[in-house]
Amino acid sequence: MPDREWDEMLAAATSEVLETMFFTGVDGPARAGGSAGVPRLAARLGFEGTPSGVLTLSVSEPVMRALAANFLAAEEGETLSAGQLGSVVCELANMICGSLLSRVKTEEHFRLSSPELVPEGAPGPAEPPSQSLVVSDGVGEGVVDLWLALECRAN
Amino acid sequence: MAFRVLIVDDSPVMRAFIRRIIALSGMEDADFLEASDGREALTLLREQWVDVVLTDINMPSMDGEELVRCLCADDVLKSVPVVIVSTDGTETRMQQMLSLGARGYVKKPFMPETLREELERVLGGAYARSRMG
Repeated sequence: MPDREWDEMLAAATSEVLETMFFTGVDGPARAGGSAGVPRLAARLGFEGTPSGVLTLSVSEPVMRALAANFLAAEEGETLSAGQLGSVVCELANMICGSLLSRVKTEEHFRLSSPELVPEGAPGPAEPPSQSLVVSDGVGEGVVDLWLALECRAN
Repeated sequence: MAFRVLIVDDSPVMRAFIRRIIALSGMEDADFLEASDGREALTLLREQWVDVVLTDINMPSMDGEELVRCLCADDVLKSVPVVIVSTDGTETRMQQMLSLGARGYVKKPFMPETLREELERVLGGAYARSRMG
């Protein structure tokens, strides 16, 4: 499958998850690095199947707080803990990955690893994101960056 | 009489989300029990009756697949309906879990009404009776 198709599926999966579970709209593609200097929260998870790969997601902390508040229906002024934010960013990555893989036309099912937080300051993927999407709609405006790394296996 | 739901998911925020969605779906009288994996769920189920189990698949210690196998092999617990709530939405996986004995399957992400409809379908008479008090 061409990279472009994977990127389109990734964008569709991200929109579906944000709209359905986070009650947040996606305005379309953004330029990567648009919120450079802002603290970010990142999570990644691997999947095994045909193909196998790793999905990494990174969101600026203010936007992640707003997304998590939507997800958890936090009261106005309620401060979410770092643990809650970490759990929500992991769940966001998990659901995007699941939604992405359910779009792959295959008889095989994929095995997903448990999502894990990427420690702050840890080196992220060297490549530009596969998708950078602007989210808005009550969460302010921010960018969700996603990296999809697929393993090419010889049969 | 409220009906009782056991939510099994290793993510506390997902358990909280499911609780909220069920309450918002007009099932505000539901009681909830929670477990973070299949093993904890089995322990709870041997102590307390529930009307339905909602379980994730991908969990540490004992995953949702093993939980369904254990429940279906238990003479008492096999009558408790299990609905899978999972990010794994591949047709193969859904068919596998249903053939193991799960009564329903909700793929994450899901609309609130999707979960409610699946619960109503699976609970059937038990849900109707709970609405009549």
